[in-house]
Amino acid sequence: MFDPIIELARLVGLVIGIALVVLGAIMDLIAAIGMNRFTNFYLRLHAATVGTIGGSVYPLVGLALIALCSDVFPTLTERLYVAGIALVTAFFVALTAPVGSHVLARAAHRSGEAKHVNPEPVVDKLKEDRGE
Amino acid sequence: MYSTFLTADIISADLVVTIVTLLVPIYIVATLLYVVRVAKGPTVPDMVLAVDVMAYDLAVFIIILAIIFRSVYLAVGALPLVLWAYILDMFVAKYLEKEKELGE
Repeated sequence: MFDPIIELARLVGLVIGIALVVLGAIMDLIAAIGMNRFTNFYLRLHAATVGTIGGSVYPLVGLALIALCSDVFPTLTERLYVAGIALVTAFFVALTAPVGSHVLARAAHRSGEAKHVNPEPVVDKLKEDRGE
Repeated sequence: MYSTFLTADIISADLVVTIVTLLVPIYIVATLLYVVRVAKGPTVPDMVLAVDVMAYDLAVFIIILAIIFRSVYLAVGALPLVLWAYILDMFVAKYLEKEKELGE
C-alpha cells in the first residue's frame, strides 16, 4: 500500500541521516588532526570531545536513520534491529564518553602524570587548593 | 490528488551504500592518525584518550560495514566496544590515582 505521508517522512529522515553521517565523518577527521596537533593532554581533551560527540554520536544517529528509512535492509525487523543497536550505542557514547574524559582528566591532574605541559600554565588554582 | 513517489526512486539503496562507502577512507585516515597518537603519546592518559576515541570510531565503523555489506549481524559488536572503552577509562584512572597514593 502506498502512503505519501510515510514516504515523505522516510525521504526527510534519509536526507537528515546522510547529512549527519557526512558531518560526523568530517568532524572525526578534524578531531584526529587535532589530536596530533595539540601540544598537551588537556588541550587534546578538547579534540577528543569533538571526536566523541561530533564524530561518533552524530554518525550513529545518522546511521540509525539511514537503516530505518532506506531500502538497504529488506524487512522491517532488520531495519529496526540495526537502528535500535545504533541508537542504543549512540546513547551510551553520549553517556559514558564525557564521564570517562572527566575521570581521566581528574586522574591525570591528581597523579601528576601530565605534569610537564607545553606551554607551561601560568597559574594552577586546582593544585593550590589541594595544597601542593 | 497526491503525486506518487517512492523514497527508493529518489535515493535508492545502492546510492545510500555508495555514499556510505565513500566515508570509509575518511574513517580509516582518522583511525591512522589516532594510532599515531597512541604510538607517540608521551603520557599514559594521552594514549588512553586516543584509544577511547578510536574505540568510539570503530563502533561507528562497524555499523557502516553492516550497511555496506547489508548484513544485520555485523552490527552487534558496536555496543560492547563502547562499554569496553568506558571500562578502560575507569581502570586506568583508578590505577593512576592509586599509584599516587602509594607514593610514586
